[in-house]
Amino acid sequence: MKKAILSMIVAALPLLPLSSEAAGPVKIGFINSITGKEAQIGENLTNGAAMAVEDMTAKGFSVTVIKEDDGGDPKNALAAYEKLVTRDNVIGVVGPYTSGSANVVASRADQYNVPLLVPAAAKEEITRKGYKNVFRLNAPADVYSLVLMKAVAQYKPKTIAYVYAATDFGVSTVKTAQDNAVSMGLKEVANEKYQQGQPDYRATLAKVKAANPDLVFLVSYDADAILLMRQAKEIGLAPKAFLGAGAGYTTAQFAQQKDISNLVVSATQWTDDVNWPGAADFAKRYKAKFAKEPSYHAACAYEAMRIMIETSSKAGNASAVQQKLKSGSWNGIMGPVKFADYNGFNNQNNHPMLVQQLQGGKYETVYPAQFSKAKLVYPFKR
Amino acid sequence: MLFLQSLISGLLTGGVYALAGIGMSLVFGVMNVSNFAHGDLMMLGMYMAYFVFTLLHIDPYISLVLVMPAAFVFGYGLEKMFINRVIHHPHQNQILLTIGLGLIMSNTALLAFTSDPRILTTSYSSSSFNILRDVSVSVPLLLSFMITCVITATLYLFLGKSRTGMALRATSQNREAAQLMGINVSRMSAIAFGIGTALAATAGALIAPTYYIHPLAGHSFLLKSFTICVLGGLGSVVGATVGGLIIGVIEAMSSTYISTDWKDVVVFVLFLAVLLFRPQGLFGKKGGQ
Repeated sequence: MKKAILSMIVAALPLLPLSSEAAGPVKIGFINSITGKEAQIGENLTNGAAMAVEDMTAKGFSVTVIKEDDGGDPKNALAAYEKLVTRDNVIGVVGPYTSGSANVVASRADQYNVPLLVPAAAKEEITRKGYKNVFRLNAPADVYSLVLMKAVAQYKPKTIAYVYAATDFGVSTVKTAQDNAVSMGLKEVANEKYQQGQPDYRATLAKVKAANPDLVFLVSYDADAILLMRQAKEIGLAPKAFLGAGAGYTTAQFAQQKDISNLVVSATQWTDDVNWPGAADFAKRYKAKFAKEPSYHAACAYEAMRIMIETSSKAGNASAVQQKLKSGSWNGIMGPVKFADYNGFNNQNNHPMLVQQLQGGKYETVYPAQFSKAKLVYPFKR
Repeated sequence: MLFLQSLISGLLTGGVYALAGIGMSLVFGVMNVSNFAHGDLMMLGMYMAYFVFTLLHIDPYISLVLVMPAAFVFGYGLEKMFINRVIHHPHQNQILLTIGLGLIMSNTALLAFTSDPRILTTSYSSSSFNILRDVSVSVPLLLSFMITCVITATLYLFLGKSRTGMALRATSQNREAAQLMGINVSRMSAIAFGIGTALAATAGALIAPTYYIHPLAGHSFLLKSFTICVLGGLGSVVGATVGGLIIGVIEAMSSTYISTDWKDVVVFVLFLAVLLFRPQGLFGKKGGQ
């Protein structure tokens, strides 16, 4: 009973300032990693969200976005959320970026009854705990391996080898990949976990080569991806396909290394050549404005911010925002968006992840067919 | 086949480890200082090779003629300014000083070059040739191995035949006696640290075309260099050479025959075994530290 009263008061709080300044702009919050270890990716989110605010303002929406920095730390993210909902009286929050921060903030969203729209955090639990006020735009982590394997399933590969970094993301992604492989009838012929930052993976790769797999499934960060592919070329490892699940295979730097990265397949939330409405135009404007290629994080933040601005302007208070997010559907640069309950997820957008392949130094979307213009080159050749 | 492949890539990688280890060992031998800034000096060598390549368009292997003297001067200055002040102090003071210097270097690099890894791509970065059927040899790695051999041989000759080299060895054997014989030991220390720095930077420049360049890239090599020094015998140049090759081969063999994840475990178990049964290291002086 006490809790119910409390939540009613909290829910009513945002209404107070609105009643006094009825015509004023709606207030929403944005939590992001502007400083700290994740700042490099955080910058993409900042840019994407800024573009969304600009576009929506141009369309006549009147909105105030209050930005908070969590420095990549869940503790700060929670403090930022609490400040936004209690002091600034925002009626919706976009963010935070990292899985760790988003997971912690999500656990408090129902207590304050202010909806949280997570743009790009992948940890599955965030939308698995039945929170009413937590919505997620991007696909969770298990979809990475699933979509990669679906993309090559029609070619009937028989064996698979795993080479991956000994990190949380590496180990858990390979675990879901193994489950998918079993259901596809793939036989595991090598499983090599490595510590990051080693100069020499040749012995490992020679061993994988000796097992002669059809598919090599890789999870690596940053420059390790380049190192592994270089040494794979030296050793002469040439499976039917290289499947890269981790961040290292989707960077512009990796694409530049044409002679080693060509035809590598990777999974991503968004590409600039996908045929979702406005995607290509967004990429063009983003490049012109920030002199950088937009990453999928930028697109996620743009779309999340756009949806939040549109919804909160129509709703006017937090609980109405929650209802409108739950019932609404959108179609923008991230494709069709609908927050649904399925497979144990709540308010999760069943976002179709994309599979891209490097073809001549450019990432081309190759799967699913209805979103792509290019075709997958299979088998892999040097 | 697999055995031969692992042996070759292990030996070639071990060559670069050896070069890094020799620099550290020489400094320890002559000055009795454990240099924990060694990895960061390697990192500076990587950036030097990178910028010489991208700005002046000089091949990273040829850039050694610029990197080595520059690093020697840097190391010489570093010793004159900081290290010689703690040379008679307890080991923990020296360790704190060198760790501090290393932190300053790596964090300055973080500020100046950001944490984005840089990739040095030459025309031969990922080229290789086959010996036998199915055993490949990496071209850049083979080049660095050959350069390592030349540098190590030159160093042996220098230490064995030249006047300065003999003075260095004398200082290494007995600092007080060398001083009594009229050798300028403080100058010898500065020269040893200069050579050590030049060797670290060379190792960094040699590995740059096959690795990636990052302000914290030196840290994984610091631990390796230290292991190599202790394994070979602290202060022994031959020991460090052999130690480097051994570590390279063991790493390759254990990732082939046990698991990639376990290769560090194998290396350090072996390291502990050497410490237990031969505390002075494989080539160390008996009754040494």
